[in-house]
Formats: sequence, structure tokens, C-alpha cells
Amino acid sequence: MNTGGLILVIGSLLSAVAAFVWVAIRLGSTGHQPDKTLATGLQTASDKDVEHIFNDEFREELRNRGRLHFEKVIGESAMFLQQDLRQTTSQLNDYMRGEITRTLQSEFKKYEQSITDAKQLAVDSIEKTITTIEQQREFLQRQLETQYENQKNQIIARFETEMATIINHYVLRAIGNQIDLSDQLDYILAQLEANKKAILEDVKRGT
Amino acid sequence: MELKLPAGVVSQVDVARVLRELNALTDFFVGAAARKSGTPMQPPRLTRTLTQLAQDNHFNLLEDSNRKELASVLNEVLGHAPLLHISFASEPSTKALETILVWMRANIHPQTLLQVGLQPNIAAGCVLRTPSKVFDLSMRSYLQKQESYLVELIAGAARG
Repeated sequence: MNTGGLILVIGSLLSAVAAFVWVAIRLGSTGHQPDKTLATGLQTASDKDVEHIFNDEFREELRNRGRLHFEKVIGESAMFLQQDLRQTTSQLNDYMRGEITRTLQSEFKKYEQSITDAKQLAVDSIEKTITTIEQQREFLQRQLETQYENQKNQIIARFETEMATIINHYVLRAIGNQIDLSDQLDYILAQLEANKKAILEDVKRGT
Repeated sequence: MELKLPAGVVSQVDVARVLRELNALTDFFVGAAARKSGTPMQPPRLTRTLTQLAQDNHFNLLEDSNRKELASVLNEVLGHAPLLHISFASEPSTKALETILVWMRANIHPQTLLQVGLQPNIAAGCVLRTPSKVFDLSMRSYLQKQESYLVELIAGAARG
């Protein structure tokens, strides 16, 4: 029940009480004469009339009417009260529904925001990890390339150094004893001729 | 007198063998002189080398003085003739060795003696060792000297 309904009920009750009071005052004030004797006579007469008019039946009638009126007012008030109560309940339901919906929406929003934040955090973390991994990969790649280049250069240098020896060794092994000494005579004699002076000097010095 | 050595006498071993043969011949003649006349005797068979040596140097091996002189000269050769060590990749043929020896005796010293060795790793050519020097006349040495040229060629081929 809202405040308006309550005020209406109280107002109805107060108006009924005021009606009773007014009727009582009016009834009390009729026949009041300026002349005291007359007034007393009138008073007495009126008292008799009053007693005559407001007898028990009339009073009972009035009481019944008042009761009916009061019941009517009470019924109307109860009806208004019931209507107000229903309206209030309905409004309260709507209000509660709205509040719950708003609260739920707010909580959902917060939940969604939390999920979004968590998701963003996870995405940021993953991006950072990816960046780190990428940096590591690039570093490793550079390192591997450097090592590869160094190793390649070493192998090439070693190959260049050893290659001639290997080929010579191979030629010597391949030729082996395959060349007949008779075929080498020209070469040997030419070499001896080329070194003749040195040989001669050494032999002379030795003998 | 300078002894003219035949091509068959290559090394000190050959000279020593000729000397032993000469001594054996002298012993035979000594033995023959000690025996009674008419006793059958088998003279030692002379090798071609000794015969040629005697002929080339005009020695009569039947005469004792000639034999003694030849022995003396041979001892002289054995002690003083220049000895050169020469190594080949494989066993040299007699003809090839003779050709080299002839060149040595014509160009270096007429009584040059050779000591032949084997060095299979030189592939071809020879290594000559004189009293204080080594002359590497082998293909191994030649290839080693050409290594830089070989590297140059391969590097050029690699560069395209």
C-alpha cells in the first residue's frame, strides 16, 4: 500500500467521525432561546421532543445506518487498500524484477568485463610470450647462421689447406709402382743434370 | 792410376765381391804352385765383371803382380770412391740403373758407387743422397712444389 491509499483510508475515517460530531453538535444547539424561562421551557420541550424523536428505535436506526455507512466506508477502504496493495505488490514486483535485472545486468557486465580483462591479459601475455619466442628464435637463428658461416669458412680453409696434400697423396697412391723406371729415365737424368753442379761440389767436398 | 769400373760394378758390395773373387783366384794360383805338376785342378770360374774389369784396365789376371795391383786399386776404390745413395719407388731394372750409373761416372766421378734403396711413397723419380745433401728428385717433391698452383686452379674452377 502506498502513502496515498493510507491517507485516503485515514481521511475517510476522520470524515465519518467529523460527521458524527457535527450531527451531535447540531442536535445539541437547536432550541436554545435567549429568554431563560422560555428557553428553559423550550429546553424542556425540546428535551421531550428529543426524547420523543431520538427514541431507541431512531437511535438504533441511526446506529444501523452508521454501522452500514461505516462498513461501507471500511469495505471501500479495504477495497482501495486491496487495490493499492495489489498495485503496490505489482509495482514492488516490477521494481524487484527491475532491480534484480539491473543488478544481474550490472553483475553480468562486471563478469563480462572481468572475462574481457582476463582475456586481454591472457592475450597480452601470449603476445609477450610470442614476442619473446620470436626474439629468441631470431637470436638463435643469427647464432646458428654465424656458427654455420664460421664452420663453413673453417671447412673451406681446411679443405684449401689439405686439398693439395690429399690430391698429391692420392696421385702418389694411384701412381704407386705403375710407372716403369725406364720411362722415368729421361726425367731422372734431366733432374740430375739440373742438380749436377751441386752434386759435384758435395761429392768433391766429401771425398 | 784411376781404375775404370765396368757398369756391372754398381755398389761397394759388387767391389767387395770382385775382390773376393780376385782373392780366390790368387789362392787358386798359390794352391796350384804348391801341388805337384800334372795334378788335375779345376780353376775357379771368373765372372764377367772381373774379366771386363781386368780387360778395361789392362790387367793380366794370370800374373800375380797384376792381381795384387788390381786388388790394391779395388781396396782403394772401396775405401775412397764416392758412395751415393739413390732411392727409387720400385726396384730399378739393371738397364735403367746402368744408364744412371754411366751418367754419374761420366759427370760426377769415374768411380762413383751407388747404394740403391726403395721408397715407394715417392711414386716416381728418385731421391739422391750425397755425403752431406739430399736431392729429392721425386714426383712427390715435384707435386708438393706445385701445390699452390693446384690450389689456384681449383679455386679458379670453384669460382667459375
